[in-house]
Amino acid sequence: MSMTEVSELPGVPACMRELYPFLYAQETAPDAVLAEVARSTAEKADEIVRLRREVAALYANDLSACAYAMAGRFAGGGRLFTFGNGGSSTDAQDVATTFVHPPTGRPLPALSLTCDVAVVTALSNDVGFEVVFARQIAAFGRRCDIALGLSTSGGSANVVQAFEEAAGRGLLTIGMAGYHGGRLAELDSIDHLFVIPSSSVHRIQEAQTTVYHVLWELTLRAMAELEVTAAGCPALELEGDMS
Amino acid sequence: MVTMRESVVGVGPPVSVGTAIRDAFVRREQAAGELAADAVRMAIICRDMAARFARGGKLIVFGNGGAGTDAGHIAVEFMHPVIVGKRALPALALANDGATVTGIGAREGFAEVFAYQLRHFADPEDIALAVSPDGREASVGRGLEAAREAGLLTVALLGGDGGDLAEAATVDHALVVRSADPLVVKEVHVTTYHVLWELVHVFLEQPGLLSPALIA
Repeated sequence: MSMTEVSELPGVPACMRELYPFLYAQETAPDAVLAEVARSTAEKADEIVRLRREVAALYANDLSACAYAMAGRFAGGGRLFTFGNGGSSTDAQDVATTFVHPPTGRPLPALSLTCDVAVVTALSNDVGFEVVFARQIAAFGRRCDIALGLSTSGGSANVVQAFEEAAGRGLLTIGMAGYHGGRLAELDSIDHLFVIPSSSVHRIQEAQTTVYHVLWELTLRAMAELEVTAAGCPALELEGDMS
Repeated sequence: MVTMRESVVGVGPPVSVGTAIRDAFVRREQAAGELAADAVRMAIICRDMAARFARGGKLIVFGNGGAGTDAGHIAVEFMHPVIVGKRALPALALANDGATVTGIGAREGFAEVFAYQLRHFADPEDIALAVSPDGREASVGRGLEAAREAGLLTVALLGGDGGDLAEAATVDHALVVRSADPLVVKEVHVTTYHVLWELVHVFLEQPGLLSPALIA
């Protein structure tokens, strides 16, 4: 291994020195370093356990209401569409695959709008990246469907547009954000918004994963409990949606 | 919160759901807390991964289903860090190319979807990172075998009892989340790989820690 390569790495940001002062001391015994790094791992494990407790306390009622609303949509023939950028795009895919191919229980129709690279690149190239989800919602969305979008910052323009489009078409809209909710918290177009009270992108994503997993579990439970007969998506409403 | 727009279907009373929510969150606490017990092992994994990156290696990540989305998340985490100023490190997820995955699956069998790509794209200095909620998937096992044969560092994020892969000779480092619920396993994996990413950078920025004498 060439140590030259290593020494050519960019300088260490000040924030990193503050987080790990032990690493930047003049002499560092490897065992002590491993111990310090291990300690910081333990702290993060603690942090996420505390954050999940906080989220459970904040959102127990809305998780329940949201699950019943989703169950109603599915029972009426609705489908779930999910979207997000970057790491959140992988969450969108995980939400969709959890509903359509669950570890247990009945499969429910779900599609992630982040997976079709042809559609995403075509819309980005021809129109703009801010429409990549909204245009797909416009093409697929029916009044009885569900739109679920994730944005750690709450500020993603394409996620905001997708919610506006979905709400205009009568879809049930569910948002997940972090920090203080960003632009998503200012929208009237989101029925259920779960804001993870953290400023760490990583911890926000970890808690969001729990929120959508719990939401899936509760939705199946609510469907069983409601025992709603599938009414199907009303055709007249579909025609009324065309603009 | 039930809004005015909730008009298409009625919202039923949350009866058993309240208890279910508490149960669901409680079920997650133990598994998340146990991550701390693996802290030293995680630090060693990160040191070894950093050494590979320092040698010009890339990270190759793979998994099926929900774990496939984790593979994508890990790749983008390294390629485009959320923390400004962090160096981009080369990483790719093997489930992202539908043409290649279905092509290999159709002609070579699904068990080969990752192994085939590793044989034809990996370099010896690379890192193979497998994600599997039960440690029993043939495609993941074959992928790790191919990685080992090609000389890669092999790391596995596992769940349940760890399955066959927890003790497999093809795995340099395994971390097992001891939960039978694959969704809980995934949630702990997300924290695990966020921490792995962060600590890899800590080691990379401290080159003295990567001297060959210190790395097994």
